[in-house]
Formats: sequence, C-alpha cells, structure tokens
Amino acid sequence: MKFFQYLLKIDRRIIYIIMGVLVMLPLIRPLGLGVTSGPRAARLFHAVDSIPAGKTLLISVDFDPASMPELYPMLTALMRHAFAKDMKVLLCGLWPTGAGLAIKAATDIPPEYGKKYGEDVVYLGYKPGVDAVILGMGENIKNVYPNDYSGRPLDSLPMMRDVQRLRDIPMVVALSAGDPGYSDWLRYAQSRYGMKVGAGLTAVSAADAYPFLQSGQLTGLLAGMKGAAEYEILVQKNGYSKAYMPAVAAMDSQSLAHVVIMILVIIGNIAYFATRKRRS
Amino acid sequence: MKRNIPLAICLGMGILMMVQFFVPHPISVGFYDLTTKWVRIVSAFAVVLGVGSFVMYHSEKLRRRRAGWLYSIVALVAAAVSTVVGLAWGVKQTGPLQSYIFTPLLVPLNSSMFAILAFYMASAAYRAFRARTRESALLLVAAFVVMIGMVPIGAHVPFFWFLVVMAVALLVAGFVTRSKALLIGTGALVVGLLVWPAFWKFKVPRLMLPDTAEWVLSVPNMAAKRAITFGVALGGIATALKVILGIERGWLGGGKQ
Repeated sequence: MKFFQYLLKIDRRIIYIIMGVLVMLPLIRPLGLGVTSGPRAARLFHAVDSIPAGKTLLISVDFDPASMPELYPMLTALMRHAFAKDMKVLLCGLWPTGAGLAIKAATDIPPEYGKKYGEDVVYLGYKPGVDAVILGMGENIKNVYPNDYSGRPLDSLPMMRDVQRLRDIPMVVALSAGDPGYSDWLRYAQSRYGMKVGAGLTAVSAADAYPFLQSGQLTGLLAGMKGAAEYEILVQKNGYSKAYMPAVAAMDSQSLAHVVIMILVIIGNIAYFATRKRRS
Repeated sequence: MKRNIPLAICLGMGILMMVQFFVPHPISVGFYDLTTKWVRIVSAFAVVLGVGSFVMYHSEKLRRRRAGWLYSIVALVAAAVSTVVGLAWGVKQTGPLQSYIFTPLLVPLNSSMFAILAFYMASAAYRAFRARTRESALLLVAAFVVMIGMVPIGAHVPFFWFLVVMAVALLVAGFVTRSKALLIGTGALVVGLLVWPAFWKFKVPRLMLPDTAEWVLSVPNMAAKRAITFGVALGGIATALKVILGIERGWLGGGKQ
C-alpha cells in the first residue's frame, strides 16, 4: 500500500525526466515507425496538386514560434509542392509574430527550385484588422497591401500583375494556431468569394475544424505534426522534394510521448483506486 | 441625441448590409466595396486604441507599484525597443529586428513556453486524469484511442489488441484494488473479446487503432462540435439582431441621452 501512496506522491521532476528522455531518444536514434498519409491530408494534397501551373497559391501564416514545430513543416512542404508544380506562392499573415517565420520560408525555400522573390513568391506581411484585411483583399489586394513586407510596391513585383484580388487566386491554405485563422478565411474568402480554403492546424484545435471538413467548406485539413508529416510524405512520394522532413523525424518522439502519458495515466489510476479504498 | 443617432445608423446599416448580401447587383457590390474601405479605416483606429490601452495599463501598474510591476517594465521596454528598431531599420530579413530580436529572442522564448506544456501535461494527466465516474472512464478510453491512434505507433496496433491491453490493465487494477466494479468490467470486456472473432467477416473487428480514432473524431466529436457551432451561430444571430434593433445597447457605452 505504501508503494501506491508513493506512486501518488511521486515527484513531478521524475515525470519530467522520463518525458524528456523519451522525447529526446528517438530524435537521436529514430525508431522508424513510419508515417502513412490519411484522407484529410490527401484531400488537401490533391486540391493543391490540381491548381494549374502559373496560378497562385495563397498561404496565410497565422501562427507564432510557439506552434512552429507543428505548422512550419506544413508551410515548407506546401511551398515545395507549389514550386515543384510551377505555381506561384503568395504569403500573408493575420498574426504579427508569424512575420519572421514567413520571411524565413520565403527566403529559404524558393532557391531550392530556382525560384525568385517577386516573380514566384511574394510575402505581403501582417496587417491588423482581420475581417477588413480579407474583405479588402477580395476587393483589391493593393488597397490593403500597397507594398510587400519589405516596402517594395506591389506594382513593381512581376508576380502581382496577374493577382489583383482574391478571385484571381484559386486556393488559400490557412496555417492557424488559433484565432484569427482558418475560420476567418472560411467566413469571408470562402463564403464571399467562393475561394477554396484548406487548413493546417495545431493538433489541439483540429477537432474544431472537422464539421467544416465534412460540410465541404474546408477542402482539406492537416492536423498537428501528424498532418505535417503526412503532407511531407505525400510531397516526397510524388517526387516533388527530397528535402529533410522535420515533422516525419519528430513523429517517433510524439509516439513515445503519447505512450508515456497513457502509461502514466494507467499507473496513476491504479494507485488512486488502490489507496481510495484505504482512505474510505 | 447622443444615443439615438448611433442607434439609427446601426439600424439602417444593419438592414442594408443584410439585404446587400443577397443582392448581386453592381450598385449593391459597389456599396459593399465602399463599406469594406470604411471597415479598414475604423480598424486602423483600433490599433491606436490598443497601443494606447497597453501603455496606459502598464504605466499605471508601474506608478502604483502593483504586484508584478517589474514585468510591466519588461513589457514597455520590449514594445519601445521593437518599435524603435522596426521604424529605424525596417523589417528586412537581414535587419536587426529579425537578426537580434525575432530569431534569437522571440523564437526560442516562445517555443520554450509551448514546449514545456508537454511536461506539465504529462504530470497533470498523471495526477488528475482519474476514472472516478463512468463518464470520466469513457473519456479516458476515448482519449487513449485518439492519443495512440493519431501517432505512427497506432498504425501498428489493431483495435482488438488495444482492447486486450485495456482488459489486462483493468484486470490488474481490479485485483490490486479489489474492486468488484473493475472486475465485472473486465469480465464484460473479456466476453466481448471472446465473441469478437465470430464477427470477423464484418469490417469492425478488423479495424486498426487509427480507424477507431478517426471514428471517434468524425462521429461523436463532430456531432458535439456541430451542435456547439449551431448554438454559437444562433446566439450570434440573435445578438446581432438585438444590436441592430436597438434592444442590446451595451456597445453604446455609458453616458446620458
């Protein structure tokens, strides 16, 4: 009985150490559990894949560094997919702290495919006023963003000559860590301008998006790091990229973390019920 | 007068915008474009208000030396430095805002804050996630199914074997705690597992754990989420109508007529 009481009072630092070690181990020595792509990621992949070459994919970077491990791999995989299919990528953001991440992606990914800033990719930056921004982009992007993130006038960027308003863009993928995010793109861009909207969300907020996926309002959904890993696999399987897949590499750690939490909960419950009888 | 004019504007614009949504005539579309410009201008004022409110709140806290006033210094200094650096050197990838503030400071701090959640969650789940009632036991099993089903390890686990593990865990728990309820539950689960192969030709017995997790997310979870969404939407429509018709007047603030 003392053992169970000890289990109930176990120092939280022991749990932290167990968790830390089991998260780190697979990163050093991968277990190779493998990732298979699910139907939601496949739907998004096929929707992006069907955009004709030369057309523009809009990606809304609505997350901050806290959600970077889950959402940044989605951003890079989507950009690689688009560039491999010779599409153009327009980046914007509804979160101020997402700006640095969008710039990083717009700087790092295009050279892999010989793409240039201004011709194949443009980052518009962050603008406050969510609904006003999306509605304004539906009317005329240049009214909301006269310049790109670094201050260059949009008129001077060749890519923006064919992209005047949201109706010129076949699809937007909102990578959202919360609010504002995909729901605003659904509310305004999808319902108002009939744009296809895909979403990449953190695992914790993905459950909220399921009804929109089933109703067909969302074209596809990437849920958490697993969703990112699925998209990375799809991009690589179709021969669009040979780059390192950070989300796939992290999935072993996530598997072990989940198993550890499950075992801890079982042990905690056994200890609780064992000592409860004694207490009562 | 001070209240009646805003109420009249709200009523008129509310009705106009509702009608406009369903009328695709060029005049209607032009009116809509005009109002989106107004929305952008009004939103710009919100930024000024936000910054003003932030500075006033922290200055006041600092002046009165309220609890945590030292953090207010950090907040104000961080806001001032970011603003000055951004205005002076711009926001380019190679500029100091990106090189000295965003990449080396904000990214690791923000990521660390989120990363330590995993440790807190593990500890909190160990201490608080108890099957005290039937409902919480159901929640626990559903959580296990989704947790394992949504990671790669789950793809290697048939749902049948997951239930076997659950039965063993229940059995051990039943013996350790000498709980009749747990032992009866184990018995029921074992009976279910024994008749399981009889239904092999159907799809359900051959399900893998990710299929089951998908079912949990797509059926019970979605039903609950949809109900909440409809409730929130109906609430939103009711509130909007109350505002348009002048029944709800909280947005006017205080003051005399």
